[in-house]
Amino acid sequence: MTICQFFLQGRCRFGDRCWNEHPGAGGAGGGRQQQPSGSNRRGWNTTSQRYSSVIQPSSFSKSTPWGGSRDQEKPSFSSFDSGASTSRNRGFGVSQNPFASPSPDGQKDEKKLLEGIIKDMEIWESSGQWMFSVYSPMKKKPNISGFTDISPEELRLEYHNFLTSNNLQSYLNSLQQLINQWRNRINELKSLNTSANIALLSDVKDGINQPAPAFGFGSTNAVTFGSPGFPVNNSSSANAQNFSFKPSSAPSGSPPVFGNTPAFGAASSASSAITTSVPAFGFGKPAITSAASFSFKSPAATGFGSPGFSGFPTSMAAGSFGAPGAPAFGSGTSVAGFGSLGSHSHTAFSKSSSNTFGNSSISTSLPVSNGSTTTDNKLFTPKDQLTAEELEQFQSKKFTLGKIPLKPPPTELLNI
Amino acid sequence: MSLFGTTSGFGTSGTSMFGSTSTDNHNPMKDIEVTSSPDDSIGCLSFSPPTLPGNFLIAGSWANDVRCWEVQDSGQTIPKAQQMHTGPVLDVCWSDDGSKVFTASCDKTAKMWDLNSNQAIQIAQHDAPVKTIHWIKAPNYSCVMTGSWDKTLKFWDTRSSNPMMVLQLPERCYCADVIYPMAVVATAERGLIVYQLENQPSEFRRIESPLKHQHRCVAIFKDKQNKPTGFALGSIEGRVAIHYINPPNPAKDNFTFKCHRSNGTNTSAPQDIYALIVRV
Repeated sequence: MTICQFFLQGRCRFGDRCWNEHPGAGGAGGGRQQQPSGSNRRGWNTTSQRYSSVIQPSSFSKSTPWGGSRDQEKPSFSSFDSGASTSRNRGFGVSQNPFASPSPDGQKDEKKLLEGIIKDMEIWESSGQWMFSVYSPMKKKPNISGFTDISPEELRLEYHNFLTSNNLQSYLNSLQQLINQWRNRINELKSLNTSANIALLSDVKDGINQPAPAFGFGSTNAVTFGSPGFPVNNSSSANAQNFSFKPSSAPSGSPPVFGNTPAFGAASSASSAITTSVPAFGFGKPAITSAASFSFKSPAATGFGSPGFSGFPTSMAAGSFGAPGAPAFGSGTSVAGFGSLGSHSHTAFSKSSSNTFGNSSISTSLPVSNGSTTTDNKLFTPKDQLTAEELEQFQSKKFTLGKIPLKPPPTELLNI
Repeated sequence: MSLFGTTSGFGTSGTSMFGSTSTDNHNPMKDIEVTSSPDDSIGCLSFSPPTLPGNFLIAGSWANDVRCWEVQDSGQTIPKAQQMHTGPVLDVCWSDDGSKVFTASCDKTAKMWDLNSNQAIQIAQHDAPVKTIHWIKAPNYSCVMTGSWDKTLKFWDTRSSNPMMVLQLPERCYCADVIYPMAVVATAERGLIVYQLENQPSEFRRIESPLKHQHRCVAIFKDKQNKPTGFALGSIEGRVAIHYINPPNPAKDNFTFKCHRSNGTNTSAPQDIYALIVRV
């Protein structure tokens, strides 16, 4: 990326829209959003260029619609603290010829995302920070599969429990396994090639999930884990209870118990192993182009917000993104107990929905739903797989709180 | 904290301070050490509220006990009392009048400790260790809020053994904070929920985490009118996100910053940071 000579003289006409590099400007602007790290310029400059249709934008004003959207949508690579210059180079290593016909926004963003992920992995590995944490490449994105969330207290509690049962060695073994899994996952992510990464990013995560079962503390490991009876129960059932959860949706016989834990981000779906009830994530995007899915991602991936709505993203996917699906859910019955489920998070999505998406009346909120939602990677459920109640719900004008189906609607009932 | 990252004996690990051979680096800041401190790591601390004359410090430890010291202005500490749980104590808090202390423990219960009578009774029960406990004092009700790894948030009237209310969480509760009428709970898998406590506690909003890693601690801050307006959320990678609930300019006002990192990146931002951020 060439340095803008005019900017250096303090007189660049295009400001943020300039296609040349403004050293320090991106940092200053980025500082607004995140104090020390100044590497947002990448995201901002490039995308704002993409919005302009002429080769060189002619407007001088700085306050632009792009500015607005920029703030909301652009990723914040807040982890790029080391060596701004090096990271800049990496980011621009991707061909940034603005004069060429621009590829879709999504692709450039994804490339940056990947770079971001790689960088984060490196930092994570080298820094000695807590390893048992979920990770997501950008804020407001879903978690990447393959990482489990274990807090230091939980781990220490396990240690204490093992201590009392004199079984320290098995604790250490399990811990070592966890660590190895983590390391493997990090290395995987660091060395992912682009196509695998795109798959990763588009939330389908099918490709990624295959290693996951192995990762997910697979069958043989289950024995070691199961017997010492990790967290909550001390039974040595071969079903190896989850690492840290009551296996409410313990997949019968499916080994990778831990698959349950990355429930959130894991977008388990296709993987046989991870039969959690959170197919929501991985969900419903198979047919979607990466670019589209990129913008789609944030609403669907409201993390914990909507796992129960497995039907949710899919019905969205059926129609165009955004509005149409919303009314199906957004039956504005406001709720007493659970308040508006992320009206905040769904804004991109349901432009119409005033507030409530509040049907979070999935009172048993979330993921832990029952075995009925088997990992379904399909967008729609065939009618015969729905229970009578679910069918009735889909057919009625509005969903009733407490009865919102967790499966996607059948094709027949959709009006596209 | 230039200590960490230097090449002295305990440099890189950051937390261990087992004194090196030459100099005693045990207390480099010359902090005042409490007499008769617990035998195992301290999980949580809390000073008494200003309504109570005198300053008392409560600390829960991994040795299953909760201890209380009186702290005098000179810095002297006098151990006063102690209570036991059957599991490590993860969180403590005071009631607003300073007469009772609530303790949450890995033994899946929470207890109320009446300091005057030095009696502790169990007031809460969960299916998994209780990670957070807070006292809520609303104009029309008062209760104790407990967050647990069993993915529920329960509200207890201390007189009854049944919870007043149970709210489901998307994941295990990792940290919480309460400043009436707002409560924030951060859970595993980067979950983040804000509750409003007027009339009765209800979920206000679920927020997508502004951080990329596991949530470690959260603290609410107030605006100039002394009303809670937002919160600070820390993650294990040493990054803190400041988030306003209804900011005039969301993109500008919400931000994240890094802290507590020495040469490499450091570990979790411990809760004590938040005690400073909020209570100062």
